[in-house]
Amino acid sequence: MKVAYWPGCVSRGFTPELHGSMAQIAPMLDIELVELDRANCCGAGVIAEHNMELADTLNARTFALAQQTDTDLMMNICSTCQGSQSECQERLDANTPYRDSINETLKAETGLEYERGIVNKNFLWVLVEDIGLDELRSRVVRPLTNLKVGPFYGCYVVRPTDRLGIDDEHPRDTYMQQVIEALGGTVIDYAGAYKCCGFPIITMNQKASLTMAGTHLGDAVDAQADCLVTPCPLCHLNLDLQQPVAEKVVGRELKMPVLHLPQLVGLAFGLEPKALGMNKHVVRPTSVIDWTQSVVGSAA
Amino acid sequence: MPAHDVLIIGAGLAGQRAALAAAEEGATVAIMSKVHPVRSHSNAAAGGINAALNPEDSWESHAFDTVKGSDYLGDQDAIEIMCREAPEEILWLEHRGVTFHRNAQGRLGTRAFGGASAARTYYVADITGQALLHVLYEQLMKFHEQIDRYEEWFTTRLLVGEDGSCIGAIARDIRSGQMEVFTAKNVILATGGAGQAWQPTTNALICTGDGIAQAYDIGAPLMDMEMVQYHPTTLAENGFLITEGARGEGAHLYNALGERFMEKYAPNKMELASRDVVSRAEQTEINEGRGFPGGTIALDITMVPKKRILEALREIVNIGRDFAGVDITKEPIMIRPGQHYIMGGVKTDIDGQTPITGLYAAGECACISVHGGNRLGANSLLDTLIFGRRSGEHAAKRAAGIAMPVVASGQISEEQSFIDNIIARERSGRRVSEIKNELGEMMNKDVAVYRDAAGLANAHEVIGRLKEEAKTSYIDDRGTVFNQDVLGAIELDYMLTCAEATVLSAIERKESRGAQFRTDFPARDDAQWLKHITVSRNGGQEPEVDYAPVTMTQWEPEERTY
Amino acid sequence: MPEYTLKIRRYSPETGDAAYWEEFKVDLEGHRSVLEGILSARATTDGSIGIRCSCRAAICGSCAVRINGKADLACHHHLDHAAAESPDGNTITVEPMGNMPIIKDLIVDMDAVHWKKIQRVTPWLLPEGPEPEREYIVPHENMVDVTQTMACIQCGACVSDCLSMEVDPLFIGPAALAKAYRFVGDPRDGQQYERLKDLAEDPHGIYDCTHCFMCIEACPKGVAPMSQIMRLRRVAGSDQKINDRNNGYRHEKAFVKNIEKYGTLHEANLLPDSYGGKFHPRAIPVLAGSLPAIVPALLRGKVTPAKALHHHKLPDQKQIRAIYDTVEGRDSRNELNLYIEGYEDEPVLKAAGEEERGPHS
Repeated sequence: MKVAYWPGCVSRGFTPELHGSMAQIAPMLDIELVELDRANCCGAGVIAEHNMELADTLNARTFALAQQTDTDLMMNICSTCQGSQSECQERLDANTPYRDSINETLKAETGLEYERGIVNKNFLWVLVEDIGLDELRSRVVRPLTNLKVGPFYGCYVVRPTDRLGIDDEHPRDTYMQQVIEALGGTVIDYAGAYKCCGFPIITMNQKASLTMAGTHLGDAVDAQADCLVTPCPLCHLNLDLQQPVAEKVVGRELKMPVLHLPQLVGLAFGLEPKALGMNKHVVRPTSVIDWTQSVVGSAA
Repeated sequence: MPAHDVLIIGAGLAGQRAALAAAEEGATVAIMSKVHPVRSHSNAAAGGINAALNPEDSWESHAFDTVKGSDYLGDQDAIEIMCREAPEEILWLEHRGVTFHRNAQGRLGTRAFGGASAARTYYVADITGQALLHVLYEQLMKFHEQIDRYEEWFTTRLLVGEDGSCIGAIARDIRSGQMEVFTAKNVILATGGAGQAWQPTTNALICTGDGIAQAYDIGAPLMDMEMVQYHPTTLAENGFLITEGARGEGAHLYNALGERFMEKYAPNKMELASRDVVSRAEQTEINEGRGFPGGTIALDITMVPKKRILEALREIVNIGRDFAGVDITKEPIMIRPGQHYIMGGVKTDIDGQTPITGLYAAGECACISVHGGNRLGANSLLDTLIFGRRSGEHAAKRAAGIAMPVVASGQISEEQSFIDNIIARERSGRRVSEIKNELGEMMNKDVAVYRDAAGLANAHEVIGRLKEEAKTSYIDDRGTVFNQDVLGAIELDYMLTCAEATVLSAIERKESRGAQFRTDFPARDDAQWLKHITVSRNGGQEPEVDYAPVTMTQWEPEERTY
Repeated sequence: MPEYTLKIRRYSPETGDAAYWEEFKVDLEGHRSVLEGILSARATTDGSIGIRCSCRAAICGSCAVRINGKADLACHHHLDHAAAESPDGNTITVEPMGNMPIIKDLIVDMDAVHWKKIQRVTPWLLPEGPEPEREYIVPHENMVDVTQTMACIQCGACVSDCLSMEVDPLFIGPAALAKAYRFVGDPRDGQQYERLKDLAEDPHGIYDCTHCFMCIEACPKGVAPMSQIMRLRRVAGSDQKINDRNNGYRHEKAFVKNIEKYGTLHEANLLPDSYGGKFHPRAIPVLAGSLPAIVPALLRGKVTPAKALHHHKLPDQKQIRAIYDTVEGRDSRNELNLYIEGYEDEPVLKAAGEEERGPHS
């Protein structure tokens, strides 16, 4: 399948390994990535907090760019982009006069126009809904046997459920578990799977922010997870990049590797950890050793 | 031992308004409620509050509509006061922050309501009661230094002095189980109705007639107890209220033949005739086989524009969706008449004073009587506020001139053993919940929209038996912290007291007026029955029935058509 | 009728025993509520089950509990839905709300947390000047706007599930901040600036919300407390220009400017800018404090010095600036509140999961 691909700012900035690992696994899943290299930041909720219309116009621009491509749908690899863009799309799609007014600005300033009803999915959703777990399973060459993985959804890809289309037919809040199992891993049930990483308040209340990150990481440690996996690079920043500080805040050693979703898929597809950028993580994924110590050990 | 000039029992709109008024007069005030104040049943009054505030409207018109709605049983002096003071009360509320609906000019806007000759209902979407209740509670928080709040305290008994006056109450802190005597120069009952004596009912689980029964127990007369309002639009499934605001916004009623049957019963006002008329019309359609399966009627609101529904009737969209699985913006919803309100209550004068010195009552537990045989929609919120305020003011002024009464010792241990005895009852009788269910189902069968001598006689007999069974009924909870079970046993007694007074009054009134329709006496009989019926203990154990005159000022009884 | 199992968390402070789980079987139709299930168990099996409840119709706000781990009114949650959400498809877990001390069974101490926080935001109208003779003249839209927060029934479900409060019990929290908006958004109130200044400067105020959507998800009345908090921030920052000590507004401004300048996020500049710029004295301790995170990141090649210093502008950056100029240049902000406007048809995002719709649909 061919997707209009929006990697988001962070995956091209502080978590380049996310963008890189997605690029590695896409061909293995027969996904053709048409990167939206002229698209803009989703606003991460902050621009909407500042000015709703501004956020809606900027994201309408991204949607319009996606609609210019010859693709099946728009795909992102960042929960925060998913959540922020879905919020804007909800308003744009719900009300024609409002959408018209946004399009008026958009047309005047960019020549673009957004047409109601874009399909914009996080890679996680694409994996389960468009590629399918059977297909995914069939491409696994190195099952993650004995690897105990804690899913870390974060917030933007699971709440609010109505806006994100989570219902009985689309139990998107269970997809991480399904994917981990399809890749041959073991799902670890721990308290933090659906909680907040704390990133949005890192500049306002660092203690609270890192208490969140540290608590969830600690819960995963206590549940004997080998690693966490997340569909959100911003969660990754607080859980991995900030982990040394979080350890100080919660007063315990954590040493919990945190993988991006495409990295986990890539490992099961037989890619080298280094090729997936796992050497770029702050917390070395050396504990991800159960299935073959040598491979992941070299990532450290 | 807490002592206050004014002790208010019940913290719905009447109680909170009384507290604010008494505090404003400089009295020391305590307000006590068995639930947190914002949980009170005033929440459920959805549609709005009536007042002749528009320059084109007049209080006389509002008063006449109310008198006519009451089927001439309302006391006209009290009705005049209520309608005259209504506009000022609306403005008082608005100035305190109630987010009343505005018209395009930014002024207060109105909607139409049943039985009214002008659109004079002020509202906050369809959460008017909730909005008022929460704003009054904001004011209670603001004046927390003058008003002591006893939240989640359950009053078990009113205290009577040697001279027969009311001098306080005994209450149980639900959270700790601790009993406490509250001394007061005046007690204002604002405990709401007794709808839980019927099943189903629109009323909340807390509406168990507590204050009515407590007042009756110390000798206060109950009045108009036979007048029980069945609301025309309650959810067929479970009896939840669908606001009259729906019909105010234009909704229609249909029978199974697709007929807009109100044409036959109220050709002018149609769906906006007074509630007793509409409920009877629906029941007639159902009884004569023109209802939908299960004995229901269709309420169709789909012609109201969706944006208006979201703005003005959001709550019933929720109720339809969550409790009936129906999107009312797209399809009709099945309703039937359901128990909703009791016009009767503790007999009071225009300042809320009962015949017992120092005891006041306001709101649904009181009977002033402004509603007579049938209350108009959106007059109940008004009643609670006007007479809550008047009671608070009067009680505060009265307190200024008298000394704090002295409560005799030994009261707590007596009350404690009353409760301990309930907790200790053996499991040989019936469960409290069983008796409550039997009472409710029987009342909804025999003391409903249509009544007759045989049904009422059966009701009387059943209540007599249930009263006996209640004495040995048992509960499960043996604890003290949040023992809701034992409170349920006490509430059962209260409901039985109210139900008995209702049935005795209904048997007594051998005519049809307002909400009381006797199939064996189908006509209104002004010559015989243009008078109130009262029930009181008069010092003995058994209820005695008596009469009280209806106060007439300017409106002579006429034939009542809509 | 189907049989459901209610697994209720029991606790009595009088027995000295720890909390425990107890299962009750109830025979009720699936569209009956969890509350009806509990009341049925109470009426027929064990009258000592403690739960506050009154209206049964999601109006009084008494019966909020956690059902299968998520807060909701027990009367507002169908048994069949609750069963479907449960791990085994039948056993419905019911426990008291979070973030508040438990008194007994499903009853929590709302005074100790919820009401204390409500009281914190000066929850009454503070009009300015003399009262008008008649009503205050207020635009229709403003009254409709605050109706969303007036819909709050103080059930505490949002407080229960608030993730910020979980780590910072002093956080004023979603219910109280939504209540604050009810006054900030009310044109009759004369203390908008003072209220916002207070809530912005409080380290546990509007900038302590972590934007996790838990309160939006938990609220049974559509109040969307988090959206109200965002509106408080918008008015505090953009309208009242309150430069709080928590870096809330500075961070927002830095982010918004960052995108205006670069089109995509230039992270390396964002953090120092949030504190007033790289060389601002306020930024130094913060940047020093983040060294434990930055040093390993540099060592891993995650952050390169080149990346930190240089960020490519978007090729069409002038488009972004033009959008900013137009939208930010308006006299008043153009906001769409779906709570008020509703959806034209079915919520279109349901369709986002439908495969037949491509980006061109």
